[in-house]
Amino acid sequence: MPKCTIDGKEVEFKAGENLIAVAKKVGIDIPVFCYHPGLSVVAQCRMCLVEVEKMPKLQTACSTPATDGMVVKTQSAAVKSARESTMEFLLVNHPLDCPICDKSGECDLQDNSFSHGKSTFRSHEERRTYVDVDMGPVIEKSMNRCIHCTRCIRFGDEIAGIREMVAIQRGNNTDITTIDGLPLQTEYAGNYSDICPTGSLTLKDFRFKKRAWFLKKVPSVCTGCSRGCNTELQYENTTVHRTVPRFNADVNQYWMCDEGRFLFRDTQSKDRVVEPRLGAVPATWDQAVESARQIIATAKSVVVGLGSDLSLEELALGQTFAEELKKAGVAVTLGSLTGAVITTEQDQPLDALLRRADKTGNLKGAENLGLKPISEQQSAKAEVLIAVTGGRVRVPASNGRTVAIGVFRAQDTEKFSVTLPLAAFTEKDGTYVNFQGKAQKARRAVVPAGKSKMLGEVVMVLKNVQIAEKVGA
Amino acid sequence: MSAEVQTLFIQHFGKDSNRTLSYYQSQQSGYVAAKTVVTTMTPDQVIEEVKKSNLRGRGGAGFPTGMKWSFIPKGGDKPKYLVCNADESEPGTFKDRDLIRYTPHGLIEGMIIGAYAIGCKHAYIYIRGEYTREARLLNEAIQEAKSAGFLGEKIFGTDFSLNITVHRGAGAYICGEETGLLNSLEGKRGEPRVKPPFPAISGAFGCPTAVNNVESLASIPHIIRLGGEAYSKLGAVEKSGGTRIISLSGQVKRPGLYEIQAGSKTLRQIIYDLGGGMKKEKKLKAVIPGGSSAPVLTADEIDVIYDIEPLMKIGTMMGSAAIMVVSESVDLPKLLWRITKFYAHESCGQCTPCREGCHWMESILHRICHGQGREDDLDTLTSLAGNIGGKTLCALGDAAAGPVASFIKKFRPEFEAKITPVVRGQKRYA
Repeated sequence: MPKCTIDGKEVEFKAGENLIAVAKKVGIDIPVFCYHPGLSVVAQCRMCLVEVEKMPKLQTACSTPATDGMVVKTQSAAVKSARESTMEFLLVNHPLDCPICDKSGECDLQDNSFSHGKSTFRSHEERRTYVDVDMGPVIEKSMNRCIHCTRCIRFGDEIAGIREMVAIQRGNNTDITTIDGLPLQTEYAGNYSDICPTGSLTLKDFRFKKRAWFLKKVPSVCTGCSRGCNTELQYENTTVHRTVPRFNADVNQYWMCDEGRFLFRDTQSKDRVVEPRLGAVPATWDQAVESARQIIATAKSVVVGLGSDLSLEELALGQTFAEELKKAGVAVTLGSLTGAVITTEQDQPLDALLRRADKTGNLKGAENLGLKPISEQQSAKAEVLIAVTGGRVRVPASNGRTVAIGVFRAQDTEKFSVTLPLAAFTEKDGTYVNFQGKAQKARRAVVPAGKSKMLGEVVMVLKNVQIAEKVGA
Repeated sequence: MSAEVQTLFIQHFGKDSNRTLSYYQSQQSGYVAAKTVVTTMTPDQVIEEVKKSNLRGRGGAGFPTGMKWSFIPKGGDKPKYLVCNADESEPGTFKDRDLIRYTPHGLIEGMIIGAYAIGCKHAYIYIRGEYTREARLLNEAIQEAKSAGFLGEKIFGTDFSLNITVHRGAGAYICGEETGLLNSLEGKRGEPRVKPPFPAISGAFGCPTAVNNVESLASIPHIIRLGGEAYSKLGAVEKSGGTRIISLSGQVKRPGLYEIQAGSKTLRQIIYDLGGGMKKEKKLKAVIPGGSSAPVLTADEIDVIYDIEPLMKIGTMMGSAAIMVVSESVDLPKLLWRITKFYAHESCGQCTPCREGCHWMESILHRICHGQGREDDLDTLTSLAGNIGGKTLCALGDAAAGPVASFIKKFRPEFEAKITPVVRGQKRYA
């Protein structure tokens, strides 16, 4: 393998790798603004200038591929002064409104200014200001903070597949905006905020909710569709405040769609049922479990439907429960409940990037466990339907009685005999199998909302009573 | 003009009738050079001849044209392009305009030879948007050449075909930078690209491209006609061949275009002999020797041979050979402010130092010129120029930084005189 030397450290690299990536291997961080590993290289912020031996000028590390025997210095006096000057130029027209800026605490401009900038300021000129346009429901634009890195333009063009962000005017007046000032059209608008190195593009949903440094972070997996984007849930106490994508080269790279990004909002909506119910009437766990037990105990046959939005662990638990019911002498039909897409064969990509037709997170996992979809007839004819869901699948109508265990909205519960609330995906650990067959682990961020419980706990309660009854009888 | 000076272009300037094909055939090369090349020479021989001629790019950078063509890869399945850079927009330069006006066929013939040398089938002339009349004249000349069989399919009965398209710019200085030009030609924003890859490898539409100045291309027929060596010997200094058309402007008695054998005269000779000396016998204060981006020279520095290397040695550049003569009556801070304002206005806004720095320098100079200067301004300006120069994506940053650094270094007292010390309690900004 070819080798080069960065700050005296020898490092091996693959042909074509740029100096930023190579330096990272030996723990050397080269500050960047316009460079993003998922986007094309434009070398226009000039922050990553480094000294390369035998080259007269400083070189941008992002656009310079490493070559064998190259000697690079990232800490020389010339490099340091170039970084200082770039930082100074960037801040000349930046409002420095960090105390009221949402990006503060996770801002590239702030971080790089702290590590590479000067603490003095020489400009006496008036700052440049802009009038902002409305960017639609996802993104709030504050152009005054923009440093013209054009990451957003390149993201739209190269990744989201829609050229909607553009630069208009030129030079000092360059305005980064949407074509004709229209709201953003893409389903991936949230990424604009993720990649923005300043507080210029922020999420309307997250704005002014929580300072970045209060957030705790936990790795998770999006269950919004069969893609299974790797995400990070950011939360404080019992509230999830934001979902951001986590890099996974095989699944979602650096990106995620808006639907997945705001999925956590459903789990915190006022509409979610977080206490047991009998019909539409709230009840205590004792009453509800007693009622469910009655329904199951008196039934000759039950249909157990396990949602394809449940984790593998929950599905396995559901299967065991069904087995035990069978052993107890109940005629059990076991199958899966799905969304609009019933089998993985029907699961098609919705666009060229990430989104897929199956809007549940674990259809492949359910199929792997041998669960077949429950048909309309099966559910309609069921004497008792036990539906276990994670909140994404459709609970089919049944002429018999329905024991619903899962995440539901208030209006859903009216048709159920008993509703037992389950923890949502932000509230539990679990493994999900995406459309590629990758089993991915999601970690729990917050405690189950209200009186909702983990499936294990619910099954335990039901089972013990149930089994006791049957055995005793 | 004295008899012993051999000129190639200038004798044909000034008369509208000189631009016709019949005049070109009777008085100039008349596509004989192109015919010789296409029918008897191989592309490599052409490039070799141009290399021998020591023709250096006339657009400003002075890169040897033959060398540039030799970088275009031979063969390959991608088409190759020859692009003529007629986006003449460096303040003070006006030579290409007259070349197009009076010898458009010289340019077309040069392009035929160049296209043959690099294997191009479709060439472009990117002409600045303001040159509406010149664009029309070029199109007329191309039509003329086409009907005479010098352009189009199977030129001179060989397999070689060439079409030329004239593309008008929209009035941006940055589109004179070759990669900015290519972006604009492709219909994109006129922003320079990251180099490498250089246009010779990936230029117009991602294909190998040679971008050459009008004067460079118009010189090619003469190189073929005279032979590379003879053309090279026209130049009086080593490394520079042929003649240079100089755009002389400013406060001289006879401003205009002059053609000299490269390196045959000093700056003083050009100003006083060719230009007839200073207007109204005023004292010479400064000379901008190569378009407004060239670092300024003082009146004492003009005994320098006017060519690329000698000027580079004294810290300035020949650029597009546009000399601007500045007399004692000119307010230098104001002149510098105007120059800097041009570059701040023309910065494409892509890279940080140029976008922010040029405007910042312009604001400071504006303040200085309007009685709001501060004592630390000059040091700030010098340091800003240093921070911009050499750190930008393209050469526009250097173009903006050069004048600022040199004006302040060489004429600091004039700037200091504009800055009044701060009086306590005085309102600084009006």
